[in-house]
Amino acid sequence: MEATPGYQLALQQLTDSALPTGAFAHSLGFETYIERGLVRDEASFGVWLTAFARQQLTFSDGLGIRFLYEDHPVAELDSLLTAQLLPRQLREASVKMGGRLLEIGTDVFPSPALEEYRGLVTSGRASGHQPLAFAVVAHSLGVPLNEALAAYLFAAVTSLTQNAVRAIPLGQNAGQRLLRVAADGVAAAVERVGNLTLDDFGAVSPGLEISQMRHERQRARMFMS
Amino acid sequence: MSTTAVGPGPAALSPPAADRPERGRLELLITERDGRSIASRQFHEGALRVLRPHYLDESGQVCFVLVNPGGAYLGADLYVIEVEVESGARLLLTTQSATKIYRTPGSFAEQRMRLVLGDEAQLELAPDQLIAYREASYRQNTHITVRPTSSLIMAEVVTPGWSPDGAAFRYEEVRLRTEISLDPGEAPQLLALDNLLIVPSADDVTGMGFMEGYSHVGSLLVVDRRVDQALADELHGLTRAHEAYTGVSLTATVAGTTGLVLRSLSNSTEELRRLLQACTTLLRRRWYGQPPLDLRKY
Repeated sequence: MEATPGYQLALQQLTDSALPTGAFAHSLGFETYIERGLVRDEASFGVWLTAFARQQLTFSDGLGIRFLYEDHPVAELDSLLTAQLLPRQLREASVKMGGRLLEIGTDVFPSPALEEYRGLVTSGRASGHQPLAFAVVAHSLGVPLNEALAAYLFAAVTSLTQNAVRAIPLGQNAGQRLLRVAADGVAAAVERVGNLTLDDFGAVSPGLEISQMRHERQRARMFMS
Repeated sequence: MSTTAVGPGPAALSPPAADRPERGRLELLITERDGRSIASRQFHEGALRVLRPHYLDESGQVCFVLVNPGGAYLGADLYVIEVEVESGARLLLTTQSATKIYRTPGSFAEQRMRLVLGDEAQLELAPDQLIAYREASYRQNTHITVRPTSSLIMAEVVTPGWSPDGAAFRYEEVRLRTEISLDPGEAPQLLALDNLLIVPSADDVTGMGFMEGYSHVGSLLVVDRRVDQALADELHGLTRAHEAYTGVSLTATVAGTTGLVLRSLSNSTEELRRLLQACTTLLRRRWYGQPPLDLRKY
């Protein structure tokens, strides 16, 4: 019998929803759909989550992780992410959670690559985005790309689902059913990330972007994005 | 990495080759002379040219109208536009009619645009809408380099490209990729990457999370040192009067200059045109004392 890979528990720790990055504070735009009455139950949130996984998580987060694994310079990817996350709150969310991940990572999974990325951020030469901070740590732990992608994307849909359970609200079992379906979306996203090119990086649908922008002006809000 | 923070650049382009002939090229150099902007150099080749320049008002801003005598872009066609607006000069670049992309069997039609703005230079890009028809594939790659004191206003509308049977979104793929870099003097830094990709053949693009049930998408990009949160809020307020679903946000700030991004979904080209014009009218009046842009009067 094969032993569990050395990185397995580290990867679980990194993608556990208890990891204190502040993901509970971000809807990444779905709160705008709740306010418009378009996301209001299990089925409608499922539609949004599928679109979010196919668009944002694939073309932005997922591709960023892949390019980092393919040795694109982290400073260049960081700059591309800052430039392509056009909705301000989304950019701030990525940097806020990325900053926490850089701190936690430095504390518990230090590596020269992580030290380098953190140095770029502290000296103002990079912003420190969540998918890149994750990818640097996962890469240094020896996690293969597709496992890292699947773990990151599933962690993202998990925290969004937990936030939707609180905000809509939905029952706990509905949340679990949503995650079971989202797992298929994550698997499809991992496959699609492998087939995209640098030209595709940051191509997010206008509907998601507009909703993320409109969140800035929403009066009653539970979430920061 | 050669320089920090510059995007993939040429990696985003495919080289001209035997299977990707250059169908048209336009080069313009705009210079300020005695309070008026003029073309100090002008070159065109193939299926791209400009109409005689004119002045729509007393501001000195020169207006060039881009013409594609062929009427449409076809498969594997490559069009190249290179424009430099020198220090203090002001250019309005528009089109004579909608950009139409017909069937592109085998390969996509492509437009590459490289725009460079000098200190205090201004560029207003106001093309007609893009229409991609059935089985059309189109890539538009725009690279813009500005200085901290340049001023850029860029408005675009993409239609769903109705097919003969009345169905929308029958085209293969439309990509509009715009990179804006800010050059403070040392190394250019990426300010905004606006990547609009619509692939109706791979995704259901009509519903929630994509086109939200709308058919047309419009964008406005503004880079100017006078862009701030108050302006973003003001433009957002203007959009409320229109039948459209609109968001406005700001880019990060590079060397003291910020970009503004407006994205809007609607069901008609006219509605989006009016919305974008309401925004550009405010900017033209406030920043340059110019009247609203009226391109239908000649």
